[in-house]
Amino acid sequence: MKFEAPGERAAEDRAWAVVRHAYAEREPVAWPRRHARPLVAGALVAAAVAAVLSPPGRSVVHSLRKAVGVQHAQTELSSLPAPGRLLVSGPGGTWIVNQDGSRRRLGSYRDAAWSPHGLFVAATKPSELVALDPKGNVRWTLPRRSPRFPAWTGTRADTRIAYLSGGKLHVVAGDGTGDRTIGPAAAVPPVWRPGRVIVYSDGHGLVAYDLLSGSFRHTTLRPAGPAIRRRAGLSEVVSHRRVVFRGTGTFGQVVRSPDGRWLLVTWPTADQWVFVRPGPPRHIVGGSRVSSQFGGFPRIEGWCCAG
Amino acid sequence: MAGSGRDERAWVRRAQAGSQTDFEALFRAHWGPAYRAAYLVVRDAAAAEDIAQEGFIAAVRALDRFDRRRPFGPWLHRIVVNRAIDWARARALRPEGEAVDAPAPDRPERDDELLHELGRLTPEHRAVIVLRYLLEYTPGEIAELLELPRGTVNSRLRRGLDSLKERLE
Repeated sequence: MKFEAPGERAAEDRAWAVVRHAYAEREPVAWPRRHARPLVAGALVAAAVAAVLSPPGRSVVHSLRKAVGVQHAQTELSSLPAPGRLLVSGPGGTWIVNQDGSRRRLGSYRDAAWSPHGLFVAATKPSELVALDPKGNVRWTLPRRSPRFPAWTGTRADTRIAYLSGGKLHVVAGDGTGDRTIGPAAAVPPVWRPGRVIVYSDGHGLVAYDLLSGSFRHTTLRPAGPAIRRRAGLSEVVSHRRVVFRGTGTFGQVVRSPDGRWLLVTWPTADQWVFVRPGPPRHIVGGSRVSSQFGGFPRIEGWCCAG
Repeated sequence: MAGSGRDERAWVRRAQAGSQTDFEALFRAHWGPAYRAAYLVVRDAAAAEDIAQEGFIAAVRALDRFDRRRPFGPWLHRIVVNRAIDWARARALRPEGEAVDAPAPDRPERDDELLHELGRLTPEHRAVIVLRYLLEYTPGEIAELLELPRGTVNSRLRRGLDSLKERLE
């Protein structure tokens, strides 16, 4: 049977880029290394326990109380202070949090992303990319090996999802058809830019791929929006060159609300979400015991679509 | 094209010693058959690429333990074809109803028709036919690769071929 599979040569070059990287990073497995892992893990666990119980660990809670103020502290999140819905993923699965505080668990997914208008969610499992509606009903699935970091862009009529699988960037239409491999990619979330341009890391630098022209170019990303800065055991949220919130320990993420007025700061070491309106007037609302509400401290995947 | 047995053993030996050039020679020699085999089982180019690539990454991970007296090809094909069968089974459980690759032409050529009909067999039947007629393993070697009784391989081959014949007539 004489046969050549579709795209064989291009696939070979893309796969070689990934396999060569794996070859370059390989290390012969030696006994001390194999056995060092549990020791290191044990040491890390011990350090984490010590941190929680130690005065610096307790000071996280104190710092939060001080930062939030008793009058605004909530035991649990009752509602979002701004319009829109949150999409979160973590050890307890992927959830949608509505503005009234009600939550819906979509299922056990590794990561997720809103569609551009919040009508659907793209999510990943170890062996498939999945599109869901906000009630958790599966619309379509695409079997892929370890898909990660879906990013969805487009208009109501035509959307595209970028994601990583097998060390490569893929782009698929919003209805799950026409999946294409773009090129080797490092395990870094890809980001859409206006005009159907997807920016991703190929392991050496950032590459912008123009979906319309099919052209690649090297690029840079300028940090935009609020950022987290860490210094001397403190974390600070900086927005428009101004520190708008500060606390002990480590902040996880800062995400802007769809109306642009609020910032959600995640604070895993204090098991809190803190909503900050830089103002004026400045306003802070805290939500505690986040882990117990979501079966583990979740990552914010998006805050979508007011109205 | 795979190199001779001697070439291949030398590539493996030098790749184990850290020669990327020799590892690349091994990769280039085996990519085509591995990718084609995966594609014929899963009928999805992107998935076949992932599966063949994963096979090579598994080869990298096991390279230091690889017995140089054994041929590299069958070892790689065993990984790739088994993964392709798993993938095809998983997809069969949740059909997508979408064509990832180009649709078949209106008037298929004989080869296209054959490949189309091959894609309608079960993954298990597809796998033994691909191993036998694309990669040219003997039924005994296929039995060893897939860890199946030789009689099962023979019956899958016979049933697969009968089914293809019926559909193509």
